[in-house]
Amino acid sequence: MSEVNHDDLLNVDNIHTFIGQFHILEGVSVRVKKGSITVLLGRNGAGKTTTLKSIIGLTPPREGKIIFDGMEIQGKRPYNIANLGIGYVPEHRAIFRQLSVLENLKLAERKKGDFERSSEFIFKLFPDLKRLYKLPGNHLSGGQQQMLAVARALVPENKLLLIDEPSEGLAPILIQQMMEAIETLSHTTTILLVEQNFIMASQLAKQYVIIDDGKSVSSGSIKDLVLQPEVIHRYLGASIKTRKELEMEHGSEE
Amino acid sequence: MDRKNKRILQTTLIIVVVLGIIVSLYLYAGQRAFVSTIFSGLTLGSLFFLVAAGLTLIFGLMDVLNFAHGSMFMLGAYIGWQFYTNPTFIFGVAPLALAFGTGVMFISVLKPYLIAWNLSPRMQKLLPTIAYILAAVVIVFAVLGFDILGLANTAMVAMTTTTVGNPLAEISPQEPLAEFWIRPVLMMLGGLLIAFGSSKPGDKTQYAPKENLGKAMLLPAILLVVTVVSIFIRESAPVSVLLMNGNIRFLLSILVSVAFGFVFGAVIEIILIRPLYARPTFIILMTLGLSYVIRELVQFLWDPLTYQMARPPLFAMPGKAASIGEWLQNGNSTIDILGATVPTYRLFIIALGIVMFALVTLLMTKTRLGMIIRAGVQDPEMVEAMGINVKSVFTLVFALGVALATLGGIGAAPFLPVQPLMGDAYQTQGLITVVIGGMGSYVGAFVGAMILGMARAFGDYFALKLSLSPAIAEASTVIIMVIVLLTRPQGLFGSKE
Repeated sequence: MSEVNHDDLLNVDNIHTFIGQFHILEGVSVRVKKGSITVLLGRNGAGKTTTLKSIIGLTPPREGKIIFDGMEIQGKRPYNIANLGIGYVPEHRAIFRQLSVLENLKLAERKKGDFERSSEFIFKLFPDLKRLYKLPGNHLSGGQQQMLAVARALVPENKLLLIDEPSEGLAPILIQQMMEAIETLSHTTTILLVEQNFIMASQLAKQYVIIDDGKSVSSGSIKDLVLQPEVIHRYLGASIKTRKELEMEHGSEE
Repeated sequence: MDRKNKRILQTTLIIVVVLGIIVSLYLYAGQRAFVSTIFSGLTLGSLFFLVAAGLTLIFGLMDVLNFAHGSMFMLGAYIGWQFYTNPTFIFGVAPLALAFGTGVMFISVLKPYLIAWNLSPRMQKLLPTIAYILAAVVIVFAVLGFDILGLANTAMVAMTTTTVGNPLAEISPQEPLAEFWIRPVLMMLGGLLIAFGSSKPGDKTQYAPKENLGKAMLLPAILLVVTVVSIFIRESAPVSVLLMNGNIRFLLSILVSVAFGFVFGAVIEIILIRPLYARPTFIILMTLGLSYVIRELVQFLWDPLTYQMARPPLFAMPGKAASIGEWLQNGNSTIDILGATVPTYRLFIIALGIVMFALVTLLMTKTRLGMIIRAGVQDPEMVEAMGINVKSVFTLVFALGVALATLGGIGAAPFLPVQPLMGDAYQTQGLITVVIGGMGSYVGAFVGAMILGMARAFGDYFALKLSLSPAIAEASTVIIMVIVLLTRPQGLFGSKE
């Protein structure tokens, strides 16, 4: 696992993360190739979100290394890590509800003029946001909030996007829209995605890493994973949903 | 739609009730008493706002309830009073404080080099400890034999012995420069040692790029120049300040007090509060303890006595002005407003409160810092993950909050007796204001402060008129708090979270 590969934009090497007394990650390794989408799969509570938070520095790992763009970043403060060019889209659409759409985007600037440079692209990707840019965040619908959360990470120039469950709780039509947006993004940026929705994940990503019980247990090309139903069944089990199940679940929303 | 109608009905009801109260008070008290009570209420409200604004911003952003806020208000009054009455103390101590600060500020220059050192984990722990111990020794030598009480006495002596015409009568002689110069040099050395220790030599997880070195040099370099200047003007500056026009001197005292509050707040946040964010109860105990330390320090320097700061000339001449123009020309102490006699200094306090409210509003709504604060109130972790240094924003907000409190203190100094406990009542009222207005809301702090100010003023009026106990005024604010808590637990302008 330790040989240097220059195709890797991010190399998470056997990290251990504690939250309080709890040993959440007990050896997670993730490698993200430049210019592709890598997806983290696994059951609820397996440690996917904590892996993203460990990378961005919100829950710094106690052991192991994280190398981003040739630089060790473990133990650095989150704002330092983010300023190296990592955009973080948290789960549960954590936008700033007291701030307007415009302010949410402006706040994400790292240099003056970031927003001016990227606004055209953002509003092309999410036309809804342009219409709503004066509204405060708490007046947006769930789908619009999720779009804003992703859009916020696009304001500065990022080399890597960490996106946590973008399809969570969205209606199928919005999931489709979000998928297309992420697919568009992947042409220009590298993405590490956490996704429960296996169908969405398998259509978007090239590489996968399965995390189970705080350990990374399997990784490789997603094409190979689709051919291994026993792996899918063993580690993802209940979390795999067919399109039909998803439609039944979300049909009543929005 | 139903909910919207209900809200309109509620708002109308509140407006009708408030107007009803105002009209009946006007009819009951008569114009003169009504107007003068309103102005007392606005004065108290402005002071409450200056205390509550800092409390509510600090609480909203970092969940810190600062129980030393009242002591900081009091400290602001003392610093301003010192500067206005006889600044010998301020100019005498400044070189030491500035030299120490300059030394500490060199951390931004040292850090990029020190963290690149290759040290064993043992040395990484040992070196800072040695540096801190050395710093303590050096600082002890720097202040050994320094006559701080003599300096502190100068303003007290000036107050009791000088005539108004000659404030220079009691400038006490100071240590000659030939003896004094070693003190700031040692203080700077102490500061440098602390900078060395706290930049964590050899700690590779720290991040400090060397490219920004030019920018990092700027602040320490400026401070160094200021320190050197302060050493040389130590003896002459107090005289020049005292020869100034009293109004300008008062303006300068306000600036000195605010600048002191800002720096003091930043230092307290970095040294005492920052290590305790993970333990909120400890922060409360620590600020409570800090309030006693500040009070004892003030009593040590200036004795537990009560002082009355002279009003600046603009508000000092006995006699009533008929109009604002006449007041500005003659500097009367009172002015006639709609038949009532209102002390002119109260108008100044009211203006101070309103201007600060406008400035805080501008800061919060129009600036990037305000945007960061509003976002940080909800989710500081996410703000940090977006690439913003939240720790330094916390420091800045704490410093601004304390600066508002010291501004309140110097604003109140010509109006209230200056004594070590003067901030306590204002802290209590400030806390009640924050509860009424809603934790974290500066608009709530303003409205709450004005409501409380009015309640106090009219409580006093009724107590006097109906020969009730004056405690009724104080009780009224608590009663309002109870009513607000029962009907709207999040406060008038608080959000529900």
